Amino acid sequence: MFKGKHFYKGLVLMSAAGVLAACGNDGDVPGTDGADDNGNGETEEEVSLAIMQGKVEFNNQFNELADMYMDENPNVSIEITSVGGGTDYFTQLTTRFSAGDEPDIFSVAGPNEFEQMAEYLADLSDTDAANAALEGTLTDVTGEDGVVTALPYNLEGYGFIYNKEVFEAAGIDAEAISTYEELEEAVQTIDGQKDDLDIEAVFAFPGAEAWVPGNHLSNVYLTHEFDENVNEAYNAETVAFEKGDEFQRMLDLQVDYSVGPVLSLDYSQQVEEYFSLGQVAMIQQGNWVYPTLLQMDPEFAENSVGMIPIPLEGYENQLPVGVPNYWAVNSNKDDATVQAAKDFLDWMYLSDEGKDFVINEFNFIPAYEGYDDMEISDPISQIVYDYSERGDTIGWVFNGYPTGWTNNEFGPNIQAYIGGEMTWDEMVENSISAWESLK
Amino acid sequence: MKNKELTFWLFITPVLLSLSLVVIVPVFMGLFYSFTDWNGLNFNNIIGFEHYRRLLEDEQFRNSLWFTFRFTFVSVIILNFVGLGLAVLVTSKLRSRNILRTVFFMPNLIGGLILGFIWQFIFIRVFSAVGDFTGFEGLLGWLSTPETGFWGLIILTVWQQAGYIMIIYIAYLQGIPKELIESANIDGATSFQKFRHVIFPLIAPGFTVSMFLTLSSSFKIYDQNLSLTGGGPYNSTQMVAMNIVDTAFSSNQMAYGQSKAVIFFIIVAIFSLSQVYYSKKREVDL
Repeated sequence: MFKGKHFYKGLVLMSAAGVLAACGNDGDVPGTDGADDNGNGETEEEVSLAIMQGKVEFNNQFNELADMYMDENPNVSIEITSVGGGTDYFTQLTTRFSAGDEPDIFSVAGPNEFEQMAEYLADLSDTDAANAALEGTLTDVTGEDGVVTALPYNLEGYGFIYNKEVFEAAGIDAEAISTYEELEEAVQTIDGQKDDLDIEAVFAFPGAEAWVPGNHLSNVYLTHEFDENVNEAYNAETVAFEKGDEFQRMLDLQVDYSVGPVLSLDYSQQVEEYFSLGQVAMIQQGNWVYPTLLQMDPEFAENSVGMIPIPLEGYENQLPVGVPNYWAVNSNKDDATVQAAKDFLDWMYLSDEGKDFVINEFNFIPAYEGYDDMEISDPISQIVYDYSERGDTIGWVFNGYPTGWTNNEFGPNIQAYIGGEMTWDEMVENSISAWESLK
Repeated sequence: MKNKELTFWLFITPVLLSLSLVVIVPVFMGLFYSFTDWNGLNFNNIIGFEHYRRLLEDEQFRNSLWFTFRFTFVSVIILNFVGLGLAVLVTSKLRSRNILRTVFFMPNLIGGLILGFIWQFIFIRVFSAVGDFTGFEGLLGWLSTPETGFWGLIILTVWQQAGYIMIIYIAYLQGIPKELIESANIDGATSFQKFRHVIFPLIAPGFTVSMFLTLSSSFKIYDQNLSLTGGGPYNSTQMVAMNIVDTAFSSNQMAYGQSKAVIFFIIVAIFSLSQVYYSKKREVDL
């Protein structure tokens, strides 16, 4: 027989230990698990790279690329975590850092994220990729001392994506539109014939998405206030809306000639339902919609889609092009790991296999030199690349807006303006004071 | 005697430990962080009531709070009304009552996020299609105004949770002794009188439970809110939970969000506890 007391005491302790053990289970980070030596004769040290990144769309292709790299370099094992959506990603990244499970390579976007991760950014100046990066793509991530702390993923650009068939049928040459007046005239012409053209409206404007007017459209009118420099926007105490009138009339134009009700129209309706099915003549979006268009109707996507810049007085025919995401290497790791991380990034963007993947599988618009002789597969990306090559671009500053400004203040204010709850002046005033208070 | 005490602790330790690890300790940590400038990783200063003072001037938080109150008020009433109604229906002599129970309960098995997207489709597409077809303008433009957003949320919540509340009422309805109904019948009570004076007092404990559940769940709704309206248009349908998440995770003001959460916790606790207290008083014993 057990002596009751000891028996119970033991049980209590055991159950307590069980609870604690269950809670502390995440301590065993996969350190060197790619250990199954398949006798390739490699003598190099085993390295494992944990990658965490925020562009979930190309997760599968990225994993394939990593597999290819691991086949070539048996001593390297790569583990990829992809987390979707801007805010969720960064929260999870910081959570992993504070839990001690730090990734070796991670993606960062925007000055605020850079500032928060500053102590973890390794110096990447000596990588080949940094030397091959296109002009301008590193300015946002180069410190005053010339140290490059991150490498661009790719380039992205946006404007008015239009349906060539509709424009042709209406007798309008979209490429010739460069001013607001010309655009307005074209819109009115199309609107006048919408029954003949068999479309529902000229635009599909997604008022439910704060970022479409709040980040992308506003960027066109605010970027020159900050010299097209995202860090300048990030450090700015206030915003003036110098080109507010132009901004207002462009917003009005899109809303007035849009499928309604604008305020509940979202991105997927805009792109999938209205544009890809030929219900509207144009939408304000970027090259990222192409895979969706291709999925909906390959023939339409390949032959009938074009893109023109959003007209801005004094800066005609310039497309907003930027780097949405950067790769950073964790400086908190040992030298071998940091070097392995750099090698992987160099290989991804500069080796022949890597380049082929970047263009054809990722469908990236390359932010690096050495892609001249390669064909970019989709027409919208080609347009973006052409504009960047010519230098006819304006910079992205919206990643430098105060954190939460677009989603919680500016975006809702624009929605209130569209819904008639606020006048334009109230909208501007409100948004300016929100900017100042968030700084 | 000693042995009994030990058994007591033996059984309570696992629960106590896990509860304190995931609830009690975090509550106090959260309370502490709300007085600091914590950014999610670390903090530099203890700033006292600064965040709470700022809260008083936060118009969006006030709007969210007001919206949440209105939402909770309406949804608690409708939910209990519909839940009780369904319960009465499926405990009656309907032949299809068993299948109906399953059907009514089913929405509760679908996650709130998915439900939100399904109803978004219904409100925006189906409603407008029906509206276009019949020319009934009340069905057009749902979720694009604050009012339709509000009622959309109510409809979604009621549709989802009424089945669950129904189950609770069924349990209590079936617990009513047959003799009491019978004697009421013999006394010549009408159906309404039976319901009002016999059944209703006897299911009062169920009422307490359901009120508590609906009240606290309506206050804390987040996923339905996120997927159905996302707070739009212009944050007019943003509930407090969402306001807190946005503050903490999208504006990255962790400590400020935390102080909102503390206030929210206090409000929900006051409402739920006082509701339970008053409802308890009305229950009758057999």
